[in-house]
Parts: sequence; C-alpha cells; structure tokens
Amino acid sequence: MALALLLWQGVVLGGGYEETLKPLFRERCYACHGALKQKGDLRLDTVAAMHAGQVINRQHPKESVLLQRTAAADPEERMPPPHEGEALDTAMLGLLEAWLVEGAPAPLDELPEAPPEAHWAYQPIVRPPLPEGSAASHPIDAFLEEQWRSQGLAPAGEASPETLIRRAFLDLIGLPPKESDWGAWLGEWSPQRYERLVDQLLDDPRHGERWARHWMDIWRYSDWWGLGEQRRNSQERLWHWRDWIVESLNADLPYDEMIRLMLAADELYPEDLSKLRATGFLARNFFLFNRTQWMDEVVEHVSKGFLGITMNCAKCHDHKYDPIDQRDYFRLRAFFEPYHVRQDLPPGETDLSQAGVPRVFDALLDEATYRFIRGEESQPDTSEVMVPGVPELLAFDDLAIEPVSLPTAAWQPVRRPWVLRAHERAARQALEENPDNRIRQLEWESVQARVVATRAAWKGDAIAERREAIVAERRLAVARAEEALRVAGEDADKQAKAREAVTEAKKALVKPVDDAESFTPFKGAQWVATRFLDSTKDDPALGFPSTSTGRRRALAAWITDARNPLTARVAVNHLWTRHFGKPLVRSVFDFGRKEPEPVQRKLIDWLAAELIARDWHMKPMHRLLMQSEAYRRASSSLGAEVALARDPDNALWWRREPIRLESQVVRDAVLALAGTLDNQMGGPSVPGAAQDDSHRRSLYFFHSNNDRNAFLTLFDEAAVKECYQREQSIVPQQALALSNSRLVEEALPAIVGQLGGGACSDDEFVSVAFLQLLGLAVSGDDRARSLAALQAWKGVGNSILDARAQLVWTLINHNDFVTLR
Amino acid sequence: MRPANRRAFLSQASLGFGSFALDAMLRQEACAGLAPTGRPHNSPKAKKVIWLFMNGGVSHMESFDPKPMLNRYAGKTIAETPFAHVQDPDKLALERLVVPDANGNQRNKLFPLQVGFRKHGQSGLEISDWFPHLAKHADKLAVIRSLWTTDSNHGAQTQFHSGRHRNDGDFPTLGAWVNYGLGSLNENLPQFISLGKREYWNKRDGHYLGPAYDAVPLRVDPHKPLDFASPAMPVSETSRAIGRDLLRDLHVSHVARHPDDAAMEARVASYELAFRMQTSVPEVMDFAGESAATRARYGLEQKETADFGQQLLAARRLVERGVRFVQVQHGGGGAGAWDAHSGLQKNHSQNASKVDQPIAALLEDLEQCGLLEETLVVFASEFGRTPGSQNGDGRDHHIFGFSAWMAGGGLKGGVVHGATDEIGFHAVENRHYVTDIHATILHQLGLDSRALEIPGRKRLEIDHGHPITEIIA
Repeated sequence: MALALLLWQGVVLGGGYEETLKPLFRERCYACHGALKQKGDLRLDTVAAMHAGQVINRQHPKESVLLQRTAAADPEERMPPPHEGEALDTAMLGLLEAWLVEGAPAPLDELPEAPPEAHWAYQPIVRPPLPEGSAASHPIDAFLEEQWRSQGLAPAGEASPETLIRRAFLDLIGLPPKESDWGAWLGEWSPQRYERLVDQLLDDPRHGERWARHWMDIWRYSDWWGLGEQRRNSQERLWHWRDWIVESLNADLPYDEMIRLMLAADELYPEDLSKLRATGFLARNFFLFNRTQWMDEVVEHVSKGFLGITMNCAKCHDHKYDPIDQRDYFRLRAFFEPYHVRQDLPPGETDLSQAGVPRVFDALLDEATYRFIRGEESQPDTSEVMVPGVPELLAFDDLAIEPVSLPTAAWQPVRRPWVLRAHERAARQALEENPDNRIRQLEWESVQARVVATRAAWKGDAIAERREAIVAERRLAVARAEEALRVAGEDADKQAKAREAVTEAKKALVKPVDDAESFTPFKGAQWVATRFLDSTKDDPALGFPSTSTGRRRALAAWITDARNPLTARVAVNHLWTRHFGKPLVRSVFDFGRKEPEPVQRKLIDWLAAELIARDWHMKPMHRLLMQSEAYRRASSSLGAEVALARDPDNALWWRREPIRLESQVVRDAVLALAGTLDNQMGGPSVPGAAQDDSHRRSLYFFHSNNDRNAFLTLFDEAAVKECYQREQSIVPQQALALSNSRLVEEALPAIVGQLGGGACSDDEFVSVAFLQLLGLAVSGDDRARSLAALQAWKGVGNSILDARAQLVWTLINHNDFVTLR
Repeated sequence: MRPANRRAFLSQASLGFGSFALDAMLRQEACAGLAPTGRPHNSPKAKKVIWLFMNGGVSHMESFDPKPMLNRYAGKTIAETPFAHVQDPDKLALERLVVPDANGNQRNKLFPLQVGFRKHGQSGLEISDWFPHLAKHADKLAVIRSLWTTDSNHGAQTQFHSGRHRNDGDFPTLGAWVNYGLGSLNENLPQFISLGKREYWNKRDGHYLGPAYDAVPLRVDPHKPLDFASPAMPVSETSRAIGRDLLRDLHVSHVARHPDDAAMEARVASYELAFRMQTSVPEVMDFAGESAATRARYGLEQKETADFGQQLLAARRLVERGVRFVQVQHGGGGAGAWDAHSGLQKNHSQNASKVDQPIAALLEDLEQCGLLEETLVVFASEFGRTPGSQNGDGRDHHIFGFSAWMAGGGLKGGVVHGATDEIGFHAVENRHYVTDIHATILHQLGLDSRALEIPGRKRLEIDHGHPITEIIA
C-alpha cells in the first residue's frame, strides 16, 4: 500500500515487481488488460499472462512490446493511450526496463485478478448465519465479538446512563434532554428503561426532523440559487419535498417506497399531490441553462446515493474499475431524458408563482439519448439511440418499461376539483370584503363566467359560454382602465395615455367576439421554463402529455427489488454511519471494485437482509442498531488499553466512536437548552435575513449553494452539491462562534433560568449544568474548580452576565458540548 | 478518519500545543506517507503569495499586450483582414459549453485600442496608459501574454483558481493547496486569507481537502474583521479570562478520561488559536501605526483608491506577519466589475484608476520592507476580452489568449513571456493553461503538487501544470 502511494506521488523507490510494478500496472493497465476487459486478447495481471500475450521478449528484453509500447513517443502507439491514462514517466520506465532485463522475475503463486462478478458487493444478499457459540445476545454483537476474539481484544464497557440518555436524544431527535427528561429517565435506569426511551424517541415527531436532515444531506436538498433573482438551480418552494421527507420518516414509510416515490411518484400516484412532493428529489437537479449538466447530476447521484456506484466515472470512457461501460452511463441517463419540472397549484391557492409545488413529469416522450464521444456534449454519436437500461452485471430480470396512461386531471390539472373552486372563492371573498367596489364586482363576474366556460368546454364546444367569458373580461378591462384614469394624477402625459386606454378598452368591448379569440384560462400547473437555447429568453413552452414513459417507474422497481445486491447494503451503511460515527463500508457512495471487502462483511450483509425482511421499515432498524451493546459502549479507551494498542483506529468497533455534532444540532441544542426553540414544523424555508432572529430548527433555514447561515457554515454545513458524509472539521472560527455569537450570548441567561429552576444552590447548579450541557456527572475536582470560578466571577460583578451565565458559557465551549459521546 | 481530517487536526494541533495524541497521529501519518509535513519539498525561493484577482475579465489588449493591428484594421471584420485564420473552427475547439451564449455570436468587427501604450523602465516593457503608477515598476514584472482557458463564461473565475472547468465539479483552489502543503509562520493568524468581495464563484477553497483549508474571509475593519471576532455583548475581559482558565482546567481533566481522543486535543488547540486571533486579527486591520506617507502612498485618502488601497495595505501587513496566501478580489459582485461588454473605455479606465496606485504602492512597499524577494505578487483575471467589438464600444469574454503578470518571489523582472497573434486572438507562442501559473507559484514555494496528492483523488496532468521556467530568476 505504502509503495503504491509513493508511486502516486511520482516518487519511485526501488523494489521489484510486486512492490512497485504490479501496483503501477494495476493502476494504468488493468482497466483494459485485466479481469474487466482483455483488449487485444491481452491480460497484464500476471507475468504468466504477459508471456502468453507475447509482450515480454526473453531474448531481447529491451525489445519487449511491454516496454516499447509504454515508452512510445507517438501518441498513436503509446500505452496507456492519451485519452485512457497517464503515460509512464522516465523513472517508471527505467524500473520496468531493469525488471525485464533481470528476466521479469515473478512470484510462483501469482493469481490473476478476480473476475468483476466475484466482487463482494455484487453478490446477492444472503443472510449469513450467526457465529456459533457466541455469548452475545444481540446479532450485531455476535458478529463483532467473533472478530474481537480472533484478535484477542476486550471491548470497552457500557457508557454511563447520563451518556446513554444524551446519546439517544441527540441521535434520534437531534436535541438534548430537558430537565424533565433527565428526571424521568435517570432515576430508575435499567436496560428495559433504555429500550422504552428509544421507543419513545422514535415516536417523537422531532425524530423525523432529525433524520430528515441526514437524508437531505445524501439526497442533496437545496433551496434554489442563481444569480440575483434569476432561479438557475433547483426550485422555488423545494421545501415541500423536505416536508415530505420529515412526514414520511415519522410515518415510517418504508425506504424502498421512499425511493419509488422520489423517482416516479408522478407515474405511480399521478393524482396524489402529497406524494408528488417526493419528486422534489429530481426537481432539485433543475439547471436553467444546460440539460447535460442537469442530467449528469441526476445520473451521478441516483447511482451514488441509492446504489453506491460511481456511474459518473463512465461518462467519458468505460469505467476503469467497475463493469460499467460508457453506454451504461447514457442508458441510465435515458431513464431521465423525458422528464422536466412543473409547479402544481395546491388546494386553496390561486397563484402558481407564489404557491406552486415543484414536481416532475415526462415532457419529452420521444427525446433520444445519445452517447457523447469522450463525454463531449458537442459530439453526440447519433448513429445509435441509447435505450434505458442497467449495467449487465446488475441486471437480474428484464426491465418492464410500460408507458403509463395518466388520469385526465394529471395532464389537465385545471380539472382538479380545487383549482376552479379556489379562484371562485378568492374572487367572492374579495368582493365580500369590499361589496361596493365595482372592479371587484366585475372581477367576480368575470371569474364566474370563465369558470362556467371552462367547465362547459370540458363537455363540448361551449361557444356561448366562451363568448360570455370573453365579454366579462372586456367589461372588467374597461372598468380597470377607467380606474387607472381616475388615479392618473396631474401629469398631462399620463392622463392622455390613460384616456387613450379607456377609449381602446371601450372599443374592444363592442367588437364582435372572434372565433379564434379565447378568455384567460385558469392554470392548474405551470412548466418551469428552461433556457437551453438562449440564455436571455425562455425555451418554447412544453405541454403536459397524457402519458408518461414509465421509464422511471421501471428504474425504481429495479433499484428497490430485493434482488438488487446494492440498494439495501448502501442503505444500512448510511444508517450505521450516522448512528455509529463512521461507516462499515468506508466509501459510502462507492461500493465498486475499488472498495475491498469490508472487515464486517457478514454484519453488513446481515443488516441488509434484515432491512429487506422488515419490509424496508427504518424505525425497526434504528431500534435494532441501538439495542446492540456495540451502540451502548463507552467512547473512552480507559480500561481497554489492549484493544487500543492492537486496534488504535477502532476498526473492530471495540468502543464507541465520538461524533462531532452536525451544525444544525449545535445550534438547535443551544436554543433547546434555553427553552426558546420554536417547535413549529414544516413550511417555507426561513430566509437568510430572518435567520438571526429566528428560533426555528436549523433544518428549516434557507440553504443553498449560495446562501448558507454563517454560524452553521462554520460547523461543516452540508455542501449541497454532494454530502454523503458530513465533515467533522476543527477550526478556530468554531470557537469564536461559540464564544461570541449573539445566538449563544442571548441564550446564556435563559439557560441559567432553565437549569434547576434558578433557585438551587451553587453546588446543585454545577451538577445540573454539567449534566444538561455535557451529559456528565461532574467529578469532584471539576466541581471544586467550577465553584471557585463562580466565586471569582461574583467578585468581578459583571452586570451583563452573572456568574452562572459565565459558567454556562464555559460549558458551551467545552469539547463535549459539540461532541456526541 | 479521512486524511483531510487528520491534516486538519495536525494543522491546529501543531500550533504550539504538543501532546501525546499528536505524536501518535504523526506516527500514523508517517506510516501512511500521506499528509504533508508543513515543510517544503524543495528549497523555496518564496514564502508567501499575494494574489490579486480582477473579477470580470481585463482586456489584455488594453493592459499588457498592445495590438496596433487593431487600430490598423479597426472596423473591418476579421474575415476581411489577413488574420481570418484565427477563426478556424479547430482553433476554437478549446471552448467548452456551459451555458448558451447570451452574448451571441463571434465578435467579428475589430475594435481599435482604447488607450495608448508606452515602453517603461530599462526593460522597455509595454504597459497601457491606464496604469501609470504600476508602469514605474515595469522592471519588477514578468508579464505572461499567452494564457488560455476553456470556460467562456465567468465560471472561468473558479477555473483560474482550481484549474478545473465548472462542469467538472468543485476542486481545491491554489490557496488551499498552499495552505495544505505549508506549515504556519505565525501561530496567531490563519494561513489563507481572502479580502474583498467574492460573489460569483464558490466561496469555498478546500473542497476535498476539507473546510480547514478554506480561505478565512477578513474585512478591513478593526472592529469587525471577521465573523464572531468579538463578543456580541460587552463582557468584561476579566470574566472571560476566568472562563478560559476554567475551560482549560476542565479540558485537562477530561483529556485524562479520554486519553486518546485526538479530536479533543485539536479542538483545545483551536480554542487557543481562536483566542489569539481575537487580538491578532483586529491588530492587523488597525492601520493607526502606519505613517502618513504610507497611507498616502496606498491612496487611502482618495475616494477612488481607498477601498483597494486598504485591502492591499492589509495584505502587506498580513504577509509581514507570516500569512502564507492572501487572496484579494477586486470588483467582485455580479459577474465582476471589469466585465466591459459595452463602454470599455470608461469601464477599464475607472477600474484601473482604482487599482493602479495601490498595486504600485504594494510593490514599492514590499520592496522597501525587504519582503518582495520572498513574496510573490500575482495579477490576473479569469480571461481577456475579444479583439472584436461588442455593443459598439465594448468587448466580449475571450478565452483563447490573455495576460497576467507576476512579480517578486524569485522571478525575473522586466520580462515578457509568450505572445498572442497579431490581433490578440490566440496565444501562439509559449502557450500556458492557467495551472501553469499555479505550478510556477508552487515551484517557487518549494512545493511539489504531486507529493501533495490525496489517494483516491487522482489529479490529471493538466491539474498540476508546468512551471514557467523562463521567468524564474
């Protein structure tokens, strides 16, 4: 490993075939001449294969094809070819030559690369049997124990009740326990009580808020962003999707159903606006100017997020490590090629631009997908249309792509019963508020006439109704023009113009109604315009077809099929990472051949099988993970020195991994401790300007590529472009934020008021402050230091913050305040 | 734990806060052969960088690359001139599509130079009359006239810093690499600082290196130089000191309960730096100690030059105190102040008058303090502008050939390197992609970009670039 790394760095140490050359071949040659592919019928993964392929010349080693081709100056000759990989540098070529001259020595037992289909993550998920003779009562612990035993490790013990209570609260609802929670749970602690605590927290609606933020990281939630007011990326009111995630988690909607809805709710439940919110997942990838960039993001993150496949590596050329060819990339894109975004009017609303719900629909039913030569958008290979499909190795069935015939209201959304009703109600209400207003009266009449005409048109020609609606609108236009003239003021120019407008409107009123003329239609939905053709004006409008291609429904069915070897494994790895602080499979978005079989292979397979067996419900999985001893261990290595010495990286989970709390939890915890957290759920994102004064949970803050909250950003806010795992950085600005921010300073007196009711002794206050802020039973030494500091602060007599507030300030700046132990 | 995080711990933990956990980490690092040591790989010629970036795109033809042919053929379409070949489609293939071109077609009608040029210094370097102060330092400049890039929209701003077209995603910027590769020279200040507005392009720098390598944005305001720099409420310093002492004691006893928690060690160290920054950063931004002559030299007393002058004086004070990389943006906001699609003469002459005197003052000042030898100053913008006119009196974005200059830091002065063709269209001689600027800087700092690479984050040859050896002294 170390030598391969040194090669990466362009530094070549000496060393033979196995130490240096083989890793070099693996990196530069195996993609085409190994298990994945055998271009020119040549393999280079063993020396025997090189001989068989006649690329080594025993008589004249320097004339070996292997050397000649890698050293060739002519790009046509050179291996790897210029578009496939970097050339070997002089030092590498020198080593290669020396090795050939030496007679190309190789180990006797050299094995070829395993075939790609043998890769662990591509194997069907089969529940492994529990290790025999294990003393552990929980399957997770039985799998882990097997490994400790083989390594001679003894794990850390169970964490203190204080730590466990805080851990469970922060992990499941993202907020620390309140005073009453401590009273309720700490008194009579037992394993049964712990289980009840977990159950109670899973039923808490704040659980959905906490875990929604995790999935929003993975699924790339972002409010819209652009330049100035121009919406270039994502969608307005994407928060509807966020609310759907929160609600779905609280309702324990199965993970597979969540995927199906996010990818294809419009094909599965075309009339259910509540479920259609789920397709915000796809609407989020909207990019105003360029379809390929939009599609690239969809392909990359559907693959990484749900399947742990780096499909993006196959955009320009065949994948270098995994059995995915460039066609597969574009075949995956083909599933999404037809879709566009529209905004639908929800019940009770009349203004799409203010209230539309973003969702996707198939707009371009016949749009062809072409492979781009070397990934260049400007070079489509139009000789072959790419049909939707999945990589051959991962196909277990024929994809059933059946077009979906949509119900009328889905593609004629004005027919949804609430659309016309809402317009009528709004006009009537406006009139009732101001019954003598002539314009409101005429507006009401015009809306009525248009409603009648709209309904009549659904049944037939409705010429009379149409005429009536048009005339009603003309009457309204005259009244509005007259009103405009009335308020035109002194300016002669303006008056003249307004007068002219009245004349025109009156002229229009008496004109016969033309056959081609139409009244202003009501809209139940609006296509979100793109500017692929010209960045200064909208592309020609797209309509709503009466069918959908069924492609995304088929893709979702394949992803969520229990036979798919990747989906459940990737999902349980995501769950594990967030409960346990680090993943079982290290690269959470790449389960491909670059990721070796994980140490806990059996455990991840068992968990994946369990998720499927529990019908993809996640709440039982949370419970299962948290019931394990592994979850409940202490994070300290005290008393586990042997384990620390043998496994310093805790690869075998002999202790709890401490987690730096996510940005949102840090802020929410401060407000919760102060008792000032606003518990309102859902709704529009809180805009940047209102955030300083807002006490809403952080997940509701407007969050995009351009707009991020300053406090949250310092604690590794999720990057909206890709965040499969949060960073856990440590930078001095975090300390400044916790020391000096208005958020913290304003909370200090309130927190003091919440702790012990303010009426306790200093001694009691110290205990309760350590417990509630840090989850610690204060030690004797720390108590003495804290009491001394309280005395010292009282001596200073600061009027802004009293001594207890100063102690709270100190504990908020303590390492464990931002740490989930 | 990913390498980036390890490195983050190290960079903080190494700030004079040694511990056994740190030792353990260093041992692991050494085994893995991954993270930089903070020492240069080769002997350095320079230690620090001041990076001046003109947002929007400076016309190379009206700054450092005069093209008299534009006057001679003014008003003619390119096809009517002897230079029609510049529009051969294969020569234009560099451009990668990002967004449909709102600005329309090729700018075909040649637009005459909007400013005069003179030769300056002993070298006779040509500089336009819009930069009279800078012209006095002509013999310090190494002008590169043969840059090219591939994003014809302002995404090229990101590209100039990271080396990657925005369609490729986000990658660490040059300042982040320098910050990552080199240790600290001052334990009281962040090592990578950004001054001036930075709006159009991503505000992050570290990307896969981690947020620890993002630039720390500072404001030239001693009262609020960075977010959360001082308490929101007037808390007495005595009270804070009691709190800090208690916190230190509590951490010591907590470390005993968690003897191998490297993150906690690093966090404690970062608190120490944060505390020092509360004093050190406002001190840098307080110019009270600067002489009247210095203030006048940077143009702090004139409305036009005051903004940029303050930033450059701050930049000098920062490098003086050991900050490695100071990135100064001029004209950030919208697409960038220099984006002269129309009215180029007015736009560029005004912008130049804002930056010219402060930049000259910076070079002079650095030289007088003896800092110019160890400080590399760079002047660049995301692309140049078209030889042809747009909207009658402006120029469009132009990626096929444009200029930048560097000074100090062991480079030659008074030299011109590379060339564009007769009308400033294509870079034709000694062509350089933007990462060659990066490679030159890293070379002077003694860093080997390949030795900094993160496993699993394979960089391309073009990401590394090649040092421009011809301008190295």
